[in-house]
Amino acid sequence: MNDDLTSCCGPGYASPAEAMKAPREKLLYTVALYIGTGIQKPDYLATIDADPDSPTYSQVISRLEMPGIGDELHHMGWNACSSCFDDANMERRYLIVPGVRSSNLHIIDCATDPKNPTLHKVINGDEIKAKTDLSAPHTIHCLGSDIIISMLGNAKGEAPGGFLHLNKDFEIVGRWENDLGGMKFNYDFWYQPRHNVMVSSEWAAPNTFMPGFDLEEVGHLKYGRELHFWDFKEKKVDKTFYLGEDGLVPLEVRFHHDPDSSHGFVGAALSSNIIHWYKKDDGEWFWEKIIDVENQPHPNWPIPIPGLISVILLSMDDRYLYFCNWLHGDIRQYDITDPSNPKFTGQVWMGGLLGKAPEVNGRKVTGGPQMIQLSLDGKRLYVTTSLFSTWDNQFYPEIRENGGCMVMVNCDPENGGMEIDKDFFVDFGKEPHGPARCHETRYPGGDCTSDIWI
Amino acid sequence: MDTDTVTITVANRGNEQFTVDRRRPLLNSLEEQGVSLPYGCKYGGCISCAGKLLSGEINQAAATALNNRQLNDGYILLCVARPLSDCTLDVGVDSHDKLYRNPFASPLRSDELKPDIATPSPINQETNS
Ligand code: FES
Repeated sequence: MNDDLTSCCGPGYASPAEAMKAPREKLLYTVALYIGTGIQKPDYLATIDADPDSPTYSQVISRLEMPGIGDELHHMGWNACSSCFDDANMERRYLIVPGVRSSNLHIIDCATDPKNPTLHKVINGDEIKAKTDLSAPHTIHCLGSDIIISMLGNAKGEAPGGFLHLNKDFEIVGRWENDLGGMKFNYDFWYQPRHNVMVSSEWAAPNTFMPGFDLEEVGHLKYGRELHFWDFKEKKVDKTFYLGEDGLVPLEVRFHHDPDSSHGFVGAALSSNIIHWYKKDDGEWFWEKIIDVENQPHPNWPIPIPGLISVILLSMDDRYLYFCNWLHGDIRQYDITDPSNPKFTGQVWMGGLLGKAPEVNGRKVTGGPQMIQLSLDGKRLYVTTSLFSTWDNQFYPEIRENGGCMVMVNCDPENGGMEIDKDFFVDFGKEPHGPARCHETRYPGGDCTSDIWI
Repeated sequence: MDTDTVTITVANRGNEQFTVDRRRPLLNSLEEQGVSLPYGCKYGGCISCAGKLLSGEINQAAATALNNRQLNDGYILLCVARPLSDCTLDVGVDSHDKLYRNPFASPLRSDELKPDIATPSPINQETNS
């Protein structure tokens, strides 16, 4: 399956500019969850029809259940991306879908019948723990024909975890890293090979975050506040930045898609800041806070509510930064043409704890804006509302009855601006086995958080 | 009477009773006897399997996921909890009425944190002495 007609051979696109010219996404793959709901059914991969000309537009058209219950599907990644563009033997065919709680890795064939993905293989969490002393898989990136996965804990769920290395046949090679340095926690990562760098961020130990969010544990240093710059070839942490109070719980890491750029960004969830970094002319890495979301008081609660930036994303042309304040309920768009001086260009509200938008287009929204995925052309942003089952249950307990939902936001890549689409709404409260929650989304042809150019 | 077994009464499943091996985690014993229960990590780190102990005694030394407020409310982790006596439990998400709290609305006192970081509050010290 070649993603685009101009490709010479391998998967993906020759460049970010080529990726932007790809045909519109017609299918979305989104993880849907029953963990934490009381419904004794496995989590599943939902395939959603995103073709406006189709009679089943904006509906779940197939569901692939995992073999057992209790996985907590969360993030996912492709077996191959544009980093293999020159390799005719590679194909973007399999989605790797981990369970954070079970540590199982599900390898899902999305190419044989893209509308009905099938389970190709399961790497059992117990095997991963036994062979590598790692658990709680999170982010997946492919590196040429290798696959690496950030693992947030050891076999007992303690920090700092490490990185699991799989080969292209989905066999466990072992641990990817040579030296974690002083890394205390693990979470997300992104690499930029032309600068021989990988950046990784810090959530917390699985045993800390899996049961839910005890805010008080932040002060006991149970949550991360550092950013790690790796020597990518040597697979070792080269430099660690202590972000302090401005960088509490740094989560999603994004480099520019432009492989020559050294600019990157991370969203610090709890302090609700965007941190920007780049390599200065003298070759030293530098970081700065560029956006600060103010906490909001609540009339009845003793502690003000942070935005809780649970996700950030860059458009394929690196011009726009998007992020969600999951607890406030807004999605923001900034023009980051000058990354040190972002311009606030768009905002929409859906759900959240501030009560600004309990409904959008007459449909009830439970939860807040959480995972987002942007179309390659930068015009459509798909948004889901669930973060993590135990955290959902703390902040949005009604999600158990109502389920999550997906909305689409139309974005204006020329002038900036965003607007919630009137026609697209996927109600996971109406799923056949009962209300489900929905988290990360990917498209068959690659998306704005999957592909890296080497 | 076999001293290796105890009787578990599941209150919120019609008070159904099960004879279980006291050396094995309750999750395994109950699942094997047809009780469908939620779980995730299966090592005491994630609270997906939490149930509420209404009477009896258990050992859950391997549990790391519960804070002291949850423990004081009777929560146990069935994947690692082994019964020391006959017990009565509520199981499943129906028993989770007090398991989750919004930390901005209802902060924990220092003695309500997880056991590894909790410090006794002055009030508790007084009641304990
Ligand atoms: S299944 Fe995770 S604590 Fe029991």
